[in-house]
Amino acid sequence: MKIRIDKAKCVGNARCAAVSAELFPLNDEGYIAVEEIDVPPGMEEAALRGARACPERIIVVEEGK
Amino acid sequence: MTAATLSAAVPKPAHVPDGAVYDFDMFADPAYCADPHERVLDLVRNAPPVFWTPRNGGHWMLLSHAAIFSAARDTESFSSEMIPMDHIKAMLAKMPPGTPHIPVVVPICVDPPAHTKYRAPLNRPFGPKAINALKDSIRALANELIDKVAARGHCEFMREIAEPLPVSVFLKMMGLPLERMGEYRELVRAHLSDPEPDPRNVVKKLWQITASMRDTLLERRAQPRDDLISLLWQTQIDGNPLTMDDMENYCALLFIAGLDTVMNGMGHGVRHLARDQALQAELRKNPQRVNDATEELLRRYTFTIPPRIVGKDLVFEGIPMKKGERVMLFLPAADLDPKEYPNPERFDLDRQNSVHIAFNAGPHRCLGSHLARVELQIIYEQMLSRLPAFRLDPSNPPAFHGGHVVGVDSLHLVWTP
Repeated sequence: MKIRIDKAKCVGNARCAAVSAELFPLNDEGYIAVEEIDVPPGMEEAALRGARACPERIIVVEEGK
Repeated sequence: MTAATLSAAVPKPAHVPDGAVYDFDMFADPAYCADPHERVLDLVRNAPPVFWTPRNGGHWMLLSHAAIFSAARDTESFSSEMIPMDHIKAMLAKMPPGTPHIPVVVPICVDPPAHTKYRAPLNRPFGPKAINALKDSIRALANELIDKVAARGHCEFMREIAEPLPVSVFLKMMGLPLERMGEYRELVRAHLSDPEPDPRNVVKKLWQITASMRDTLLERRAQPRDDLISLLWQTQIDGNPLTMDDMENYCALLFIAGLDTVMNGMGHGVRHLARDQALQAELRKNPQRVNDATEELLRRYTFTIPPRIVGKDLVFEGIPMKKGERVMLFLPAADLDPKEYPNPERFDLDRQNSVHIAFNAGPHRCLGSHLARVELQIIYEQMLSRLPAFRLDPSNPPAFHGGHVVGVDSLHLVWTP
């Protein structure tokens, strides 16, 4: 499972990191630090919930990889 | 503030379609000022999702989640420069020499890319990491205020808790002397009691705010401490150190945007809790759910209405709008939109989609959202853990006000100590 984030559109809500700070790393200003995340096994649920939590709807989870 | 007077209706401009007109005074609508979110639900059901109201000089209202979501991102069509920066600069240049600096509340009133530049120095001190580090001190301040009223069995929540808490947090963060609390509370009160102010009074008020901080600003420039003012002195804009004018702009912004907003959020949330004994019981039993409750309360009682100005002639959601017309992003309605939130009137801790835009969407997302969330969550947690079941005082019903921050004037609570 992979997460893709339209990083340029992040406005720093940090709701993804509120679901899992481990999975969704933020920079010092509280904006998402990465564009792509390989979801470690066992963290699929957190990935989906983190993506859903984004008010800007810029986090997409790609299944089956 | 009951019995506000409706503003005069202005004639409808020719380009506004008849079907897009709906009469709503966001400052004085009687039903709105009596019980704000009941009226918002009524608007969501009965008013067009995008409408023009003849009140308050005539302006557009965006209600649907979809309309606001797209308008908040399109800063070219829906500009935050209610008065363009060039005009402000020209106006300031015309002031007689020796006129004190008139604060401009950047970055709220500018569009990207200037917005990005002026916002950058504030992002880190208001980011989640910095704010989470304040939790313990905010909790201690909340406890102090609650413990003052606990044995009494009643309080006026707004005056005794919701208003002083953010002011104390603000003073602490900024490194301003705490013994000046009284002075700042007076300034907040003056600011609140003047909802549609004369521009000359606004300038006077801004001067009072910045004058009250000038000594501290100068002291921290010479001798930095561990506070926000010292930190801002160490940051740069375009590679240049901040000037006294920049600092005054930021101080005015943080004062105006950061105090009455969150206190009204607390008012709406605590009123809901006072009317929902089952929810109080549930949260006392499972305090870890206060986090979800805070989010759902923000959705159910979204309380800010950011203004925009149409940046160019355009057609939005099928409706022609002209450059220079004013638009309100009516966030309270977006978060009660049944297309996004089935049964929007229901407070539901287990709601599937609880992702709201109470802090707006797009680049102007509320800078203080992380601080507000922490303050809201802590006030709910501490009210629930330090007080027994509290209810509304039946002989003293709450009072509300409309405006850009729709809020609570008074909220009398009672409990059995």
